[in-house]
Amino acid sequence: MTPTPLINAAPAENAGAGEYSPAPLAETTRGIGLRDFSMLIALLLIWGFFGTVAPTFLSARNLSNLAVELSITAVLSLGMLLIIVCGQIDLSIGSGVGLFGGLTAVLMFRHDWPAPAAMAVSLVAAVLVWAAMGALIIRQRIPSFIVTLAGLLVFKGLHWKVISNATIPLTVGSAQNAMSRLTTWFLPKPLAFVLAGLVIVGLTLAALAGRRQRKAFQFPLEPREILFSRLFVTAQLLLLFVLVCNQYRGVPLSVMLLGATALIIGVLLKHTRFGRYLYAVGGNREAALISGIDVSRVVIGAFAIMGALVAVGGFLQTAYAGASTTTIGQLMELDAIAACVIGGASLSGGRGTVTGVLFGSLIMASLLNGLTLMAVSPEVKFIARGVVLALAVWMDVRLNKRAAD
Amino acid sequence: MISPVLECRRIGKRFGGVAALCDVDFDLRPGEIHALCGENGAGKSTLIKILGGIHPHGTYDGEVIIDGKPAAIRSVADTKAAGIAVIYQELALVDEMTVAENLFLGKEPVRGGLIDWPAVFDGARRVLQQFAIDLDPRAPVRELGIGKRQLVEVAKALAANSRILILDEPTAALSEHEVRALLQILRNLRSRGVSCLYISHRLEEIFSIADRLTVLRDGRNVATFDAAEATVPMVIRHMVGREIGELFPRHTPKHGAPLLRVLDLEVAPPEDSHVRLADIQFDVHEGEVLGIGGLMGAGRTELLMHLFGAWGRRVRGTVSVAEQILDAKANPRQSLRAGLVLVSEDRKRFGLVTDKTVGFNLSLSSLRQLDSMGLIDSTREHRRNSEMFRSLAIKASGLEAKVGDLSGGNQQKVVLGKALLTQPRVILLDEPTRGIDIGAKVELYGLMNRLTAAGCGIVLVSSELEELMSMSDRILMLHNGRIGGTFARGEATQEQLLAAAMGRSTVTTGRASEHQETV
Repeated sequence: MTPTPLINAAPAENAGAGEYSPAPLAETTRGIGLRDFSMLIALLLIWGFFGTVAPTFLSARNLSNLAVELSITAVLSLGMLLIIVCGQIDLSIGSGVGLFGGLTAVLMFRHDWPAPAAMAVSLVAAVLVWAAMGALIIRQRIPSFIVTLAGLLVFKGLHWKVISNATIPLTVGSAQNAMSRLTTWFLPKPLAFVLAGLVIVGLTLAALAGRRQRKAFQFPLEPREILFSRLFVTAQLLLLFVLVCNQYRGVPLSVMLLGATALIIGVLLKHTRFGRYLYAVGGNREAALISGIDVSRVVIGAFAIMGALVAVGGFLQTAYAGASTTTIGQLMELDAIAACVIGGASLSGGRGTVTGVLFGSLIMASLLNGLTLMAVSPEVKFIARGVVLALAVWMDVRLNKRAAD
Repeated sequence: MISPVLECRRIGKRFGGVAALCDVDFDLRPGEIHALCGENGAGKSTLIKILGGIHPHGTYDGEVIIDGKPAAIRSVADTKAAGIAVIYQELALVDEMTVAENLFLGKEPVRGGLIDWPAVFDGARRVLQQFAIDLDPRAPVRELGIGKRQLVEVAKALAANSRILILDEPTAALSEHEVRALLQILRNLRSRGVSCLYISHRLEEIFSIADRLTVLRDGRNVATFDAAEATVPMVIRHMVGREIGELFPRHTPKHGAPLLRVLDLEVAPPEDSHVRLADIQFDVHEGEVLGIGGLMGAGRTELLMHLFGAWGRRVRGTVSVAEQILDAKANPRQSLRAGLVLVSEDRKRFGLVTDKTVGFNLSLSSLRQLDSMGLIDSTREHRRNSEMFRSLAIKASGLEAKVGDLSGGNQQKVVLGKALLTQPRVILLDEPTRGIDIGAKVELYGLMNRLTAAGCGIVLVSSELEELMSMSDRILMLHNGRIGGTFARGEATQEQLLAAAMGRSTVTTGRASEHQETV
């Protein structure tokens, strides 16, 4: 029994419902809102500023480093996006990065485990710990702020205990392993071009397929010129990125990892039930429940994925530093939250995109990288991060208000 | 003749093209309890809001006269200054403060720049003693039951030296014992010269306390009686007034097998042992519309929410859908799978993700049916959504319009569409026509006819008797969490239905017989 045959044909007044334009067109044209422009301008300003005061900022070597740093921030921010979209927050990921990076290092250096096994154990442990935190939040009704704040402290303590407050190197001498290669292995230069080409072809095909589908659905389409110029600019930037990286040692492996993560999270959010449910739970939890959504499972699922990405972030960050020390991962949760908010995710839940978060991460990573290059003192770095975080949330409030008016 | 403390002369109030009040004359004498009666939508709340300063002077026609002088009430503060205290159904107390702190909230006695706490507590004790209100000034409001909180509101009004109390359905959520306590206090106040405008659906209460009563219907004052001269049937007749037009004809198909069976149901709130619903028993057959009526607080919404697995703790009883027993602890997801669906009365809270699009909301409950190797089949989703969009004639720019931007009637259609896309057997409709215009109502009635013709069963909860009587094949009236009467289509008059909702059988007048009709 389907409900459709029960219902009479549409009244004439509504027959052409798909043809409304051009007012909705402006709202639905994706990718070029005020927000994206402001992000782009912020990014150009930051790069321009650092390029002027610290000329090495734009060197191939530094941009390659920046790519690794971006990968770490962005992987964590993409996990945070899931948490924020379903209306929660996670303050513990910085400590988690330290803990699971440290655990892996100890297993390898002190207990002679092979890197893949050590990483697998850490990954599974992180997923379990985060799923448990999710369960605590949703089933015991303890606010995520509190649970993950407790997590921040506990994981930090565990991290220091695991590494005995020492510095645990990842490698003995110069022998590379699977973990250290995450940030020291670079894509062979010709392969990088081939891969970039494939990505460009893939993006173009996806964009065209999406457009064809919207056309079939009689949804408003963005002008063809805008679509193609956006694709063109993306392709140019991608090629430029490969060119710059190849001037140094090539495209870092961590960037591949970021690409894969972004693809998975993007598909998850856009094309799966789980993704829809995340937005619904964050947008209106009671309505989600009445709509038959298992809210607990959705939130625990989001935390489990966050756990996996925390482990990956831990591997990357520890590998990048070359060793696990007590300061690894410190305050990274705040960078991730800032990246999400800068990227347009709403802290009250229900809103946020992968593209936005990637942009937000790039801004945060550039800022940190530039400040380090300028050799500013740590205290000034703290202040700068704080100001950017406050600015980002202020912008979130302002733009939400404007959207509501 | 004593001159009235409060007088309304030819009060009129329009909302857009709709007249909520029209030429209402009304007066309140010193030391009088005056009851205001009328069906939902008769204009009672509008009148209170005018007196309470929520609809300010200038937005309505006519005059409000206080102590013989025209009064221009422009704000809530003006109302207070005129010695009027309005106690709305949603109590305005700060839970985390004590009774005394609440009584003096915003007017705390001050000494040397600091709050004079002894004065606060002494003052509170004095007010409470003076009016024989049994409350501990030091008790935190958080720990008080709803009945006591109501008394705190009354005491707060008295502490502000109000001479006129306006109470909007003060007993809707109270137990019998609490009602008696409240009424006794109101009698005490009357003997001290305080006037009281008392709004209630419960006629027994009104007759036990009021000196006079005024009936509003469709925004007009249709009668003012001395309570001594009025009778219950007389008041009900004035409240209902008109015959029911066959505006929305119900086409009753042949009823099939029972789809939804509710047996001996008893339900308590989640964290409370006090039973909210008891002795509930009914069947809904294929093709049948079962109407459920009752006054506010009778437990209609709780019943639907419980059947759907979204509220309450089952003490006993069974619920089955199409011969399949639903677990007592079923959640909405399991109910949906069993073929049950709920369209909540509070669509903003329980129905929609208002920040998202029409399409997002339409398919939200039925994504499971769109699965294609773990991903959502967006082509099929779009096809089903747009069919539903068209067949419900949702007026929006398209599936990508934000639901929050739609009108109430169209938002309601989106919630309905979401429910129908789950391909339900039984549809629970809670006040589906509240706040939607007449055109959308007629469309909904047509849809209900088509759904039942196709074999669905519908449970329709409504506050509008007219709607219940014209759309239901059978009507069940709830009173205080129990069945107050069941009636076949065309069997009952509005008077009988109202009487059943108030816990009075029309056959015999005693309260003890209220269950007899259902047994």
